Amino acid sequence: MGAVVQGWFDTAFGTHSAEARAWLRGAALDWLFVAKATFAVLLTGWLAMALDLEQPGTAMMTVAIVIHPQSGMVIAKSFYRALGTLIGCAAAFAIVGTFPQQRVPFLLCMALWLGLCAGGASLQRNFRSYGFVLAGYTAAIVALPVVNHPQNVFNSAVMRVSEVMLGIFVAAIVSDAIFPQRLGDVLRESVRGQFADFIVFVRDSLRGALPRPELEKAHLRFVRAVVQIEAQRSSVVFEDVGVRLRSPRLRRFNHAFMAASTSYQSLHHLLNRLQADEQSPVRERLMALAGSLADALGPAGSEPRTAAQAPALSLRLAASAEHLPARAQVLRDGLQARSDRLDFDTGAELIQRIATELHEYSDAYARLALRNSAVSVAEAESNFAHANDWAGAAVVVARTTLTMLVMGTFWLASAWTDGAGAMLIATIFSGLMATLADPLRAIGYMLVGYFVGIVCGIVCLYGVLIHMDGFVLFSAALVPFLLPGFYLSARPAWPGVGAGYLLALLYTVAAKNTMGYDALHSINDSLSQLLGVVCAGAAFMLFAGASDSPWLLGRLLRKLRLQVVHACAWPLRGLLPRFESASRDVAAQIVAHTRPGSAPSREGLAWSLAVQETGRALIELRSALSRAEVPMPLRERIGAAMAALAALYAEPGREKYWQARELFSVSIDEAVAYPALMSPLHLIRLALLDADSVLGAYLRPSAQEHDHAA
Amino acid sequence: MPHEIVVFDAQVPVLLPIFLVSLLLLWGLDGLLGRFGLYRHVWHPPLVRLALFACVFCSLGLLVMR
Repeated sequence: MGAVVQGWFDTAFGTHSAEARAWLRGAALDWLFVAKATFAVLLTGWLAMALDLEQPGTAMMTVAIVIHPQSGMVIAKSFYRALGTLIGCAAAFAIVGTFPQQRVPFLLCMALWLGLCAGGASLQRNFRSYGFVLAGYTAAIVALPVVNHPQNVFNSAVMRVSEVMLGIFVAAIVSDAIFPQRLGDVLRESVRGQFADFIVFVRDSLRGALPRPELEKAHLRFVRAVVQIEAQRSSVVFEDVGVRLRSPRLRRFNHAFMAASTSYQSLHHLLNRLQADEQSPVRERLMALAGSLADALGPAGSEPRTAAQAPALSLRLAASAEHLPARAQVLRDGLQARSDRLDFDTGAELIQRIATELHEYSDAYARLALRNSAVSVAEAESNFAHANDWAGAAVVVARTTLTMLVMGTFWLASAWTDGAGAMLIATIFSGLMATLADPLRAIGYMLVGYFVGIVCGIVCLYGVLIHMDGFVLFSAALVPFLLPGFYLSARPAWPGVGAGYLLALLYTVAAKNTMGYDALHSINDSLSQLLGVVCAGAAFMLFAGASDSPWLLGRLLRKLRLQVVHACAWPLRGLLPRFESASRDVAAQIVAHTRPGSAPSREGLAWSLAVQETGRALIELRSALSRAEVPMPLRERIGAAMAALAALYAEPGREKYWQARELFSVSIDEAVAYPALMSPLHLIRLALLDADSVLGAYLRPSAQEHDHAA
Repeated sequence: MPHEIVVFDAQVPVLLPIFLVSLLLLWGLDGLLGRFGLYRHVWHPPLVRLALFACVFCSLGLLVMR
């Protein structure tokens, strides 16, 4: 077990410095993975040869693709790969059965199927996307070799499925049963890290100011933490039955975190705005109130290390939340002006909300460690919503389909013997890479790996394997070539190089019971493979994804802003978790598709902050409206203001900005008698007035001419 | 019991459906063991799961194929 190895290293190198120990432990885990992966590949090859499968090489390639240092990843990937393979086989039957002798409709249908699968893959966040890609290209690898003999399609399918399934099972069993490195441990560490990080961050910053750049940085960190935990959760459920049963709790925990972090950012926006004006008495009083909450979070310098400490923290927070209203009342009494009182009330309500939400958050964390696995109502309802841009998926479909059609036309027109191979590789990569953040760079790395892999494969095949006889010698010859590939894929420094190398190596060696040594065929085949990878790269240049296409990135940004429109329009039930998760999902996509610190990335973050704050306040406003007895004219006035705000976020513009701002000012004047409505309304208006926010651009240049309107 | 059965005109080894049924059974058993916390008393849960699968598959197979 990974833990055993770690423990052994701790005792063996206990006297050395912590740094050296950490390095040694990392290196040991890397080599453990390399050994396991090599063993799994060879075991699969041996089994496939013993079972007399047609292409043991395919089974070995499957292992090389599926294997990963963490066993949860392998099982999740295997599960979706198995599903994808079966569906792909069914599609191959259907397509070959419908057009057995007509190559043009056959190719068209196949290209469309592959394109649709790749498009579906781009809508998924976890290994489900891999299953989609697999469903596409399994159909192709089953049907293409038998395109001239359609009656053989069944045998071809049975063979491919057997090989892939064998590879999947061996990879899953080897990585899960022999010294597993559990993804569950990584998830537990992420959850603990997120909790400790956030509690410490809140405690240390509650008493002081947090300038906007710091807020942006923190926001980025929190968005990443949320998305990462969701992604790990969706893989760990395959590995650990305990996590599977607690999965709703984990989602609830993540939602509590999202809610608390949004409220907390709103509070800092408010404090920053108050600091800008001459309103320091209000600010000081709010800081005093926040200070009493900070006391409940524990003394400075300590950090909640285990879930066992969470219940105590939870109790302290509950007690603090009870005392806050009385303390707020005392602080409020010193304020005279109406506007000061409004500012203070808004801030005090935010602080009380933060106290409640932090309590829920630490409660959710404490519940994670409970042994029973009953699921509460709130836990059952917290699903993680994703938000997708359909244009991005359409680009993927078009890219994949056209790649296949162009390559297929070339293949048919030129009667190139290896054309099918080149077409297949180009299509596979244009589907597989579409889900990555920076596909062009990934293809570049893959191409390097592929090239080295082919050269090594030819050296291995004609320099070494040709002299070897029997499985033991075959393994001995292959191991030195496998080790560097797995070592590279264990280290994330050059992503894709290791995978490309292993794929090309195993493809070129093409292990079989009776090995074939046809140098001309090998070289022709390799050239077609390389050409396929290059063509996939060209397809990515022609049909750029969101990383290289300002148009798609702009659409993602719009999708992010549309979350505010949804917050205005969608039914209230379940809206809060849906809004919080979907808006962070889009923000994470924008961050992934932009270079850190670049202008588009900063713009995305700025919008994300604005969307988060305004959307949340809108939801609070709507739930206050649904609870309070509000006369019809005011209800309509606020409805019109919300509609104007939604229009502003749908298509930002100076005119819409001023309209929304004016409507909210009027609503606030009319809603004075309804304190429940006042603080969300005031928060929304303050967010609109903020010159530092992304909406500030509409505020500055022509402010004078609109002064009368305000 | 014959060694092969016919599904949609294709001959399929009987062990294949048995394998799938054992996978389903294992999934259920795994959930039950997790719910009652038995995995906490086990040194190497994946190994137990694998062994359990071997037991289920072999007993079902022997039961049907005899």
